[in-house]
Formats: sequence, structure tokens, C-alpha cells
Amino acid sequence: MRARTAASVAVVTLVAGLAGAQTPPRWVERTKADVRGGKGSFHEIVDTVVKGEQVQIVRVEDKWLFVRTPRAKQGYVFEAALSNQPVTGGSSDFLKLAPGDASTSATAASAGAKGIYAEQYARQKGFDYGVVRWVEDNQPPGNVMEAFVKEGGLQ
Amino acid sequence: MRRGLPILLVLALAGCGGRMDVGSVMSAAQTMITQGPGAVTGAFADMDEPQEIELGRAVTANVGSRYKLLRDPALTRYVAQVGNVVAARSERPDLRYYFAVLDAPEVNAFAAPGGYVFITRGSLTLMRDEAMLAGVLGHEVAHVALRHGVEAIKAQKRKDLAVLGLQQGLRFTSAAPFTQAISLAADTVAEQIVLKGFSRAEEEEADRAGFQYARAAGYDPAGLRDFLAALVQRGAGDTRTSTFFSTHPGTEDRMKEQEKLLAAAAGRGQRNPDRFAKAVASR
Repeated sequence: MRARTAASVAVVTLVAGLAGAQTPPRWVERTKADVRGGKGSFHEIVDTVVKGEQVQIVRVEDKWLFVRTPRAKQGYVFEAALSNQPVTGGSSDFLKLAPGDASTSATAASAGAKGIYAEQYARQKGFDYGVVRWVEDNQPPGNVMEAFVKEGGLQ
Repeated sequence: MRRGLPILLVLALAGCGGRMDVGSVMSAAQTMITQGPGAVTGAFADMDEPQEIELGRAVTANVGSRYKLLRDPALTRYVAQVGNVVAARSERPDLRYYFAVLDAPEVNAFAAPGGYVFITRGSLTLMRDEAMLAGVLGHEVAHVALRHGVEAIKAQKRKDLAVLGLQQGLRFTSAAPFTQAISLAADTVAEQIVLKGFSRAEEEEADRAGFQYARAAGYDPAGLRDFLAALVQRGAGDTRTSTFFSTHPGTEDRMKEQEKLLAAAAGRGQRNPDRFAKAVASR
């Protein structure tokens, strides 16, 4: 019984070790990177990681990495956003300087400056910033894209 | 289908945050003018993606002052669906792309930094199927994905923009950070993409990339060639296409290049004329 337990522990340890070896950490090397529910920028954002943060690779699918974030969220990140080597953190001055967006949190970074600068620009010029909002609000949700691709015989 | 997204030197300066006073801006600009961009790489780093997106929003507001936005949710979403399928095959599939239709009879399409892509109603009426739309949107997505604006700055616009920035007396300090810079940048980018366009080399590169995106997405990559052919057939004398031809020299050469790509590409993809007709032609 004791031998069987020891063997089980050994197997579990081995599997865990292999799993660990297959899922090395990566570090975010962009100002921010969105973690999405699917392999495409039209999928919903489940978390946002910022420069220097470490993510765990769960699996690799083409050029998309399915990762676990420091906040225990899981989703897809494009490979170009991550580095194999540790990256020094630090948020963008641009994000810090956005009024009302001084937080360096992932939530703030996710939205970038949230249109704050652009809206100020539009106001100064007398432009209708509602145009930007309308365009951003009338894009297809990620859950319709799969059917669109399938129905169209696309890839 | 012109159009570029020149990322501006002044915006790159703004990207340096609140750390550059006007003296260092002048010094860096002067260095760049006299010694070229490589001499000041650190000070003139490329803008990061959040900055690019914010510039895209500002340019979209500017475009909205030049063109009437066609506020048709169903049509916009259809165009965006086609655009997203193509963009997913680009070099920047993780960038969120936004597509919009402009309520103008002229034939035109252009892209702003950060993934904002515009196409006119006049362009849609010239098309017969989804492959043609995918070809045009692929071309525009390529301008974004290949960061042609950044290259434009590095190439030939650095001098003018450096001087322009100094003339405007921009101070990239914490008290006046991005707002001043974005005002100048958005004005210039909007004028560039709407009225001037990219260099011929960039247009050709976008043609090749767009061809590959459409093909990889499963569309017939002849779509762009067919769109250009329809333009040529309508002719430069038509008021709806005159602007396009005046700012897009070499349309027939571009068609020939597309023919070469098609000859080398095996097989054809989807055209989806019925779905296009249902979504577009009926409106």
C-alpha cells in the first residue's frame, strides 16, 4: 500500500513536472495585451495583462497562446505580445497621464485612454465624437463571427 | 483605397511622456534634421499601441467631420464581419479593428492608425460580391498591420514634422501632454489618409499583403483585381472615381501585379455574391 502510494506520488510529481516543462512562463513585453475568449481580436476581453506581468502558458494554438493570468483568468494572447525572457514592468506614461485613468491597473490599461484625449481633441475642433462611439458600438460581437465564417465557406 | 497612416513625429515625442521640455525637443529635432532619424532613436521611439488607438479615435472624429457616417447597424456589421475575417489573417490579428461605411457616392476607402477602416457607399455600389469587399478591406487592413505610417515618418516626413512641431511650440510636459500633440497629429493624419494617400511602394505592399489575407481567409483573392478593373472600366472621367484616380496613380499597374499573384496562386476561394447582395446591394 505504501509502495503504491509512493508510486502514485511519483507519477503525479512526474506529470506535474512534465506539465511544468510544457507550460513555461512568458512575460508581457507590450504596454498592454488583451486576453481574449477566442483566437481573434473580435472576441471578448477576459483580462488584460500589462508590461512585465508573467503569464503561464496552458497550450499553444497556431500563433495564439492560451494563458493563465496573474488574476487566474484564462484566455488567448497573440504570441507577439509575449517574451520568453523576463521583461521589466512599468506602465505607459500615456496611460498614466490620461485624466481619470491614472491607475496602472489592468482594467485601466485595457481601455487605454478610453478616448479621453481623442474626445478632448474633437471638442476643441467642434467635431462630433459621437461618430467614434457609434463606430465602436456597432461592430459584430465575437459570437457571430464563427457562424459568419462557417456560412461563408471561409477559414 | 489610398491612404496611409503617417505616424507623426510629434506623437512619438508625446510618447516620451512628460519628460521632454521644449529645449530637449528642439535639440532632438535639430539632431534628427541634421543627422537623420537614427541619431535620435531613443527620443523618437515609435508610439505604442494604446497611443496609436487613441490617435485612430481622433482621426475618426476628424473623418466624421469630412464625411457623413452611414449609421446603418446591419450594413456596418456586415462590412465589419468581412473585415474581421480578413484582419484575422494579418500580421496584427490581435488588434481590434473597427469598420465604418461613409455615406458618400465617391469611390474611396482608407485606414487610420489603431485599426479604424472606412469605406464609402460609392465603393460598395461598385462591387458585385464579398470577395471584392474582402480585397479592398484587406488592402486597408494591410496599411494598419504593416504600420506604414511609422515607415513614412522614418522615411521622408521626419524633417517637415519636426519643424512643424517646433513651429507649433509644442511642449510635451505633464501639464500639456498628449492633447496638444494629438490635435496636430490627427489633423495631419486625417488630411494624409483622405487627400494624399500612401507612397506608391506602400500601396503596392498593401496590395500584396491584402491579397494574401483574403486568400488565407478563404476568399477568392481576385477580389481586389476585380475591384480595380471595375474602377478602370468606370473611368477617371466619372466624378465618383476622379478623386481616386487623381490620388492613385498606377491603377492599371496594380491590376497587372494582382494578375501575377493570381497566376502564382493555386485555386480560388469564395465569392459569396448572394450574401453580399442581401447585405449591401439591397440598401
